[in-house]
Amino acid sequence: MTDILQVLILGIALGGVYALMGSGLSLVFGVMRIVNLAHPILIIGGAYVAYWAFRLWGADPLATLPLAALILSATGILLYKLVFEKDAKSAKYSEMTVLLTFSVAMIAEGALGSAFTNTQRVTSPDYATDAIFIGDLFIPTGQVYAGAVSLAIIAALALFLKFSRFGYAIRATTQNREAAELMGVNVNFVGVVSFAIGVGLAGAAGSLISFVFSFFPGKHWEWIAVLMSLVVLGGMGSVLGTVVAAFALSVIAAFVGAWIGSTWSTMTFFLALFVILLVRPQGLFGERPELA
Amino acid sequence: MTAPLLEISGIEAGYGNGPSILEDAGLTVENEKIHCIIGPNGAGKSTLLKSICGMLKIRKGEVVFKGKRLNGMRPDQIIALGIAFVPQERALFPKMTVRENLRMGGYRMRDKNELERRVGEVMERFPILGEREKQHAGNLSGGQQQTLAMARTLISKPEIVMLDEPSLGLAPKIVSEMFSIVKMMAEGGITVLLVEQNARIGLQYADRGAVLDLGRTIFEGPAAEILEDPRIKRLYLGGGKAERKPL
Ligand SMILES: Nc1ncnc2c1ncn2[C@@H]1O[C@H](COP(=O)(O)OP(=O)(O)O)[C@@H](O)[C@H]1O
Ligand SMILES: [Mg+2]
Repeated sequence: MTDILQVLILGIALGGVYALMGSGLSLVFGVMRIVNLAHPILIIGGAYVAYWAFRLWGADPLATLPLAALILSATGILLYKLVFEKDAKSAKYSEMTVLLTFSVAMIAEGALGSAFTNTQRVTSPDYATDAIFIGDLFIPTGQVYAGAVSLAIIAALALFLKFSRFGYAIRATTQNREAAELMGVNVNFVGVVSFAIGVGLAGAAGSLISFVFSFFPGKHWEWIAVLMSLVVLGGMGSVLGTVVAAFALSVIAAFVGAWIGSTWSTMTFFLALFVILLVRPQGLFGERPELA
Repeated sequence: MTAPLLEISGIEAGYGNGPSILEDAGLTVENEKIHCIIGPNGAGKSTLLKSICGMLKIRKGEVVFKGKRLNGMRPDQIIALGIAFVPQERALFPKMTVRENLRMGGYRMRDKNELERRVGEVMERFPILGEREKQHAGNLSGGQQQTLAMARTLISKPEIVMLDEPSLGLAPKIVSEMFSIVKMMAEGGITVLLVEQNARIGLQYADRGAVLDLGRTIFEGPAAEILEDPRIKRLYLGGGKAERKPL
């Protein structure tokens, strides 16, 4: 019984982090129909911000999280201006962005690798090695913090989307771009800002994973499949769907890891992606069967 | 006579880099009247309305609204001038509630209290929307969706409302409800520019009409005159189903 509870708690805490990683990706896809394969390497970019702040100044990754989010947002805007703006009107836009973001991911991986080497890194604030004991339950403090902060950020995002004027514009553009324009929404501006928010969320997620997992530039390949499985299961572009999918898959992966073996834990996401695409390509909450 | 509210002259337009769909389309829309554009399927009626609000590029000719040239402006900028458009697909946000859809109608408004007041007003005027304010627009019936789309234009108090086939796919009883909304709009001082497949009904409600075919305006005048013109009658208003005959 304790075992089950233990695994469940870890699954939920990590689920929060996955949800944060996936929500930025989902937001960008929803508004701009960009499948951003560079999202995971941008998360790793955020992790490096946390890492250097920790190494140079001993700064707590939780304290430098806003800085990582901000730096990555700015990177996002730059990326958008350089790479996506020109093609936004092209008919082959969706297909193009897959190739474009793929090459951005490769270039960024190469750049990070040559700047910071491919050594495994991790930040180690005190809480990263602490644990809370409740009875027989062993709960690593770092994962709980990461999960809780992720949930707080997601909650803030959800409130912003639901109640703010700009949130209305984002949701409207996601649901019906042409109609949003006819309500007077400047959809290009909404696109840039959403991209900046999405990549900013990647930066925030990077700060959190810096003390939960060890990372190096090449690690993003593993994340791509993990995040894709969340976004596809969640119904492509539905932020809420992505969050639910993240918790579901993370808990399943935690049990697979505990009962079958930790190598199979990551496989859960890959297998899920494959099965969802075959069985229910519209995901849990999506209505449209098309993927792009 | 005062200057027309909206003047479209000799426009040529098409989708992307594709061929020109409109070749020489023109229209004079006068203040506080109901205008009805008729013409066979594929004539370019929808394309004309989309060109007016900047959804596709005008290649030649111009669109002038209250003395201002609209060519090259983005849809959100054109809408801000006081032009509302309900396209054929109705342009609702399927996963937003009825109330949220109405709020989107006043997206450009800065005064939140005033927006809520107008949303409340519209829901009072259209009780069916008030009853369903918490339902997702995607779950409404066709008639309710059309009502919502038309009612939503009232939030921003536009000067001109363009409606693309408001009767499309609706039962006859519902169709007359839609036209009574059109009439109500006009009585409230809104100029209505209507595209109607159902030419006879459309023209009966309209003050003025225009016939569009193959991307060209081939006739413009009082609606009653169009209804009586024997040639137009034969080509575009023919009785029953077999309406379309080549020129
Ligand atoms: N999105 C589009 N892209 C390319 N061609 C289009 C598009 N929409 C309509 N057309 C073409 O434009 C022509 C006129 O269509 P439309 O304006 O919808 O006619 P109507 O509303 O009078 O029935 C048709 O030949 C149609 O195939
Ligand atoms: Mg049409």
